[in-house]
Amino acid sequence: MLFLQLLLSGIQTGAIYALTAAGFALIFGATRIFHVAHGATFALAGYAFLACSQAGLPWFVGCLAALLIAVGFGLAMDAFIYRPIQRHEGSFFTVFVAAFGMTIAVQSLIEIGFGRGFAVVDTPLTMARAVVPGLYLADIFWVATGVALVLFILVTLFLERTRAGIGLRALSENPELLRAYGLSSRRLSALAFGLGSALAVPGAVLTAATSGLQPAISAQVMLISLAAAVVGGIGSLRGAALAGLLLGVVENLVISAVDTQWSSAAGFVVLFAFILFRPSGLFGQAVTR
Amino acid sequence: MSAIPLSVRGLDKHFGGLAAVQRVDLDLRPGVTTALVGPNGAGKTTLFNLITGNIVADSGDVLLDGASVRGLRPYEIARRGVARSFQDLRLFGRMSVRDNVLAALEPASWLWQPGGGGARRAREKAVEAALERTGLTAQADARAMDLAYAERKFLSLARILATGARIWLLDEPASGLDPNSRARFVNLVRQAVSEGVTICLIEHNLDIVTELADRIAFLDRGAKLAEGEPQEILSNPQLISIYFGEPR
Amino acid sequence: MIAYLTNLATLATIFGILAASLNLLIGYAGIFSIAHAVFFGLGAYAGAQLAMLLVPDLLLACLAGGLVAGALSLCLALPALRVRGEYFVAASLGLQMMAVTVFSEAHAVTGGHGGLVGIPLASLLGFDISAPATFLMVCLVVLALMLLVIRLLMRGSFGRGLMAIRDSESAAEAFGKNVARLKTLAVVLGCAMAGVAGVLFAFYMAFVNVESFTLEQSILVMAMVIIGGTATLIGPLVGVLLLLLLPAGLSFLPFIPPTEIGSVQQLIYGLAMALLMIFRPAGLAGQSTGQR
Repeated sequence: MLFLQLLLSGIQTGAIYALTAAGFALIFGATRIFHVAHGATFALAGYAFLACSQAGLPWFVGCLAALLIAVGFGLAMDAFIYRPIQRHEGSFFTVFVAAFGMTIAVQSLIEIGFGRGFAVVDTPLTMARAVVPGLYLADIFWVATGVALVLFILVTLFLERTRAGIGLRALSENPELLRAYGLSSRRLSALAFGLGSALAVPGAVLTAATSGLQPAISAQVMLISLAAAVVGGIGSLRGAALAGLLLGVVENLVISAVDTQWSSAAGFVVLFAFILFRPSGLFGQAVTR
Repeated sequence: MSAIPLSVRGLDKHFGGLAAVQRVDLDLRPGVTTALVGPNGAGKTTLFNLITGNIVADSGDVLLDGASVRGLRPYEIARRGVARSFQDLRLFGRMSVRDNVLAALEPASWLWQPGGGGARRAREKAVEAALERTGLTAQADARAMDLAYAERKFLSLARILATGARIWLLDEPASGLDPNSRARFVNLVRQAVSEGVTICLIEHNLDIVTELADRIAFLDRGAKLAEGEPQEILSNPQLISIYFGEPR
Repeated sequence: MIAYLTNLATLATIFGILAASLNLLIGYAGIFSIAHAVFFGLGAYAGAQLAMLLVPDLLLACLAGGLVAGALSLCLALPALRVRGEYFVAASLGLQMMAVTVFSEAHAVTGGHGGLVGIPLASLLGFDISAPATFLMVCLVVLALMLLVIRLLMRGSFGRGLMAIRDSESAAEAFGKNVARLKTLAVVLGCAMAGVAGVLFAFYMAFVNVESFTLEQSILVMAMVIIGGTATLIGPLVGVLLLLLLPAGLSFLPFIPPTEIGSVQQLIYGLAMALLMIFRPAGLAGQSTGQR
C-alpha cells in the first residue's frame, strides 16, 4: 500500500514537473535557447500567486497575476537578454551564463521581498482523505493531473494543427520554410517564450498550494526541467513531459527503498546515467558527435 | 599498389535509408590533383569525412600507402599525413593567426611536445614559412575571428601547408574568393603539387577545376558516375546536365 | 583590522587558486563545469582526514587532496568526452547534486551535515605554519606556483591544444590532436588544483562541512571566473577580489540591513553576470582584441 501511495504522490509531483519541463522543451525546441531562467519564471509565478492570496484576493485573480508575471518575464528575457546576446555572439555558454545570472538575481529579489523560509497557500483541496482504507488522496491530486493532461493535449493540438504551431516547430530547423510561410521568426520566438513560460504557471500555483514555495525553488525547478529535457531528448515536448513524470515518480518511489535524503539525488543519478549512456534521450535523435 | 598514397576501395555509407556514398573507388596519386565534382548532396564531403575517419564506413576500405586505416580515429589518420580543410573553415577563432598554424604542427597530445628546443625552433620556422607563403605574416598576431574572409581562407590553407602533410583534402577552398586571391590560391596549390603533394579538392567553380585539376571524379547521389581527364568529363553533356540540375 | 584584512587576503588567495583552476576548464578547454565545488570539497575532506588521522603536514595533505580530487575528476572527464554544450552542463549539474548528497550522507568520511571539526593546526616539514600571517604567505606561494604552472602550460603546446579544441573540436582532431586525452588531462589537472585549494581551505577554517561545497559555491566560483574574464591569467583573480570584497563593501552601506547582505550580494553578481554577457562577454579583464 505504501508503494501505491508513493506512486500516486509521485504522479502528482510528476504532473507538475511534466508541464514545467514541457515549457522548457518548447522554448528550447523552437529557439535553441537553453532557457535556464525557466526556474525563475516558475518562482515568480508561484510568489505572485502567493502575494495575491495573502492580500485576500480570490484564487483566479492569483492565477491570472501568476500568468501575467510568468509570460511577462519570459518575453522580457527573450527581448532584453537573449536577443542582444545573440546579435553579437550568441555562443551557448554566454546565453547560459546570462540566464543563470538572472535566475540568481530573481531568487535574491524574492528572498528580499518574501524572506528565505517556506511559504504555503492554504486551501481545502490539499486535505487528504482515505480513498480506500490505508490509501490517502487529496482533491488536489485530481486537479494537478487533470490540468496537466488537458494543457498538454491543448499544446500538442496547437503545435500540430495551427499555422503558428507548425511555424514554431519549424523555427529551429527550417528558417527558409518560415519565410515562405510569411511568418516572422522574431514573433515566433516571442510566442515560444510566452507559451513556454505560461506552462510553468500551473505547476507554480499547485506547488504554492501543496509543498510550498521557497526562494531556492527556482534552482530546483531549473534542475528538474533541465534533467527532464535531457532525459526526454532535448527539444522533444513529449519526451520532456514523460521524463518529468518519470522523475517525479522515481523521486517518490525511491523513498520506499532508501532514506529520504537520497530521493532528490535519485533524479540526478538518472540524469547522469542518461547523459553517459543515451545522450539522445528517450525520444531525441543522436546529437553528440 | 603501394605507390598510391591514398586509395579508396568500395566505400559505402548509408544514413538511415539514404545512400550517402555507394561503392566508391578512387585512387589519388602523387603530383596529381583530383577534383570531386557533382551536384549538392552528391556525397563529396561525406567521402572526405569517410577518408579522415570522422565517419565510419559501412563497408569498403581506405588505404594509405597500401595499408588500411579502417577503424582509426581522425587524429591517427591525420598523423599519417592526411590534412584537410573544412567548408566552414573551422579556424581556432579566439587564437592568434600564428597559434592557429602552430597548433596544427603539434600533434603530441601531452603536456608538452617531444624533441626539446631544436624541434620547437623547427616548428616555429615552418609556421613563419607557411604564413609567408599565404601572405599572412602581417596579421600573425591578429585573432583568427577578426580576419577578413579571404584571409581566413588562406589561414585554413596555411594550417595545412605548415603540417607538411603529403595528402591534402580541400573542401571548397576557393569559394567566395575575389579574382586576385583566387589567382594566389591557384599558385599556392600548383606549387604544392610540384613539391609532390597529393591533392583532392571539392569545387563548384568549374573554372578553378579546369585550372587546377588533372583528373575529375564525378559524383551523384553517392555514386561515382565517371572519372577521367577534365575535358573528357566536362564535355560529357549528360554529366553536365546532372551537374546543373536539369530535369532528367 | 589587521586580522580582518589577513582573513580576507587568505580567503581571496584560496579562492584565487580555485578560480584559476576552474579557468583552466572553462576558459582554456571550453569544459563548462558547474561542479567545481565538488573537487574543492574532495580536497578539503581528504586533507582534513589525513591531518586528523596521520599528520597535519600541509605538503602531504596537498598531495593527498590533489590526488583524490584528480582521481575522482574522471567522473567529470567521462561526460566531457562524450557530450558537449548543454549536455555537459547538465551532466556536471547532476554530478554536483549527487556529490552534495554523498557529502552529507557519508558520515564516516565527511562527518555529514555536522562536518569535520577539530582539524589540527597546519605544519610544513615540521615547522608550525598556523599563525595567520605565515599561513597567508604559504597560500600566496601556492597560488604563485599554480599560476606559474598554468601560464607555462597554457603558453605551450598543451594550452594551444586545449584552446584549439575549445574553438573547433573537429578541426583540432583533423590536425592530429588526441582530443580525449587532452580533455582528460585538463580536467584532472584543473580538479587536482581545486583539491589543493580545498586542503588549504580545510586547514585555514579548521572545520569543513558540506555547506562550502554546494551548487551555490560552484556558481560563485564560476561567476568569479566569468566576471573577471575567462582564458586570462589575471581575470579569475580580478573576479575573486570583486566578489569577495562585495559583501565586505556592502556591509559599510548603512541602508542595507545586515540580514539582507547575502541576498543583495547575490542580486548584484547575478545581474552583473547577465549584463556582462550582453555588453562584455569576455569579462572585465578579457581583451576583445587579440591576446589571450
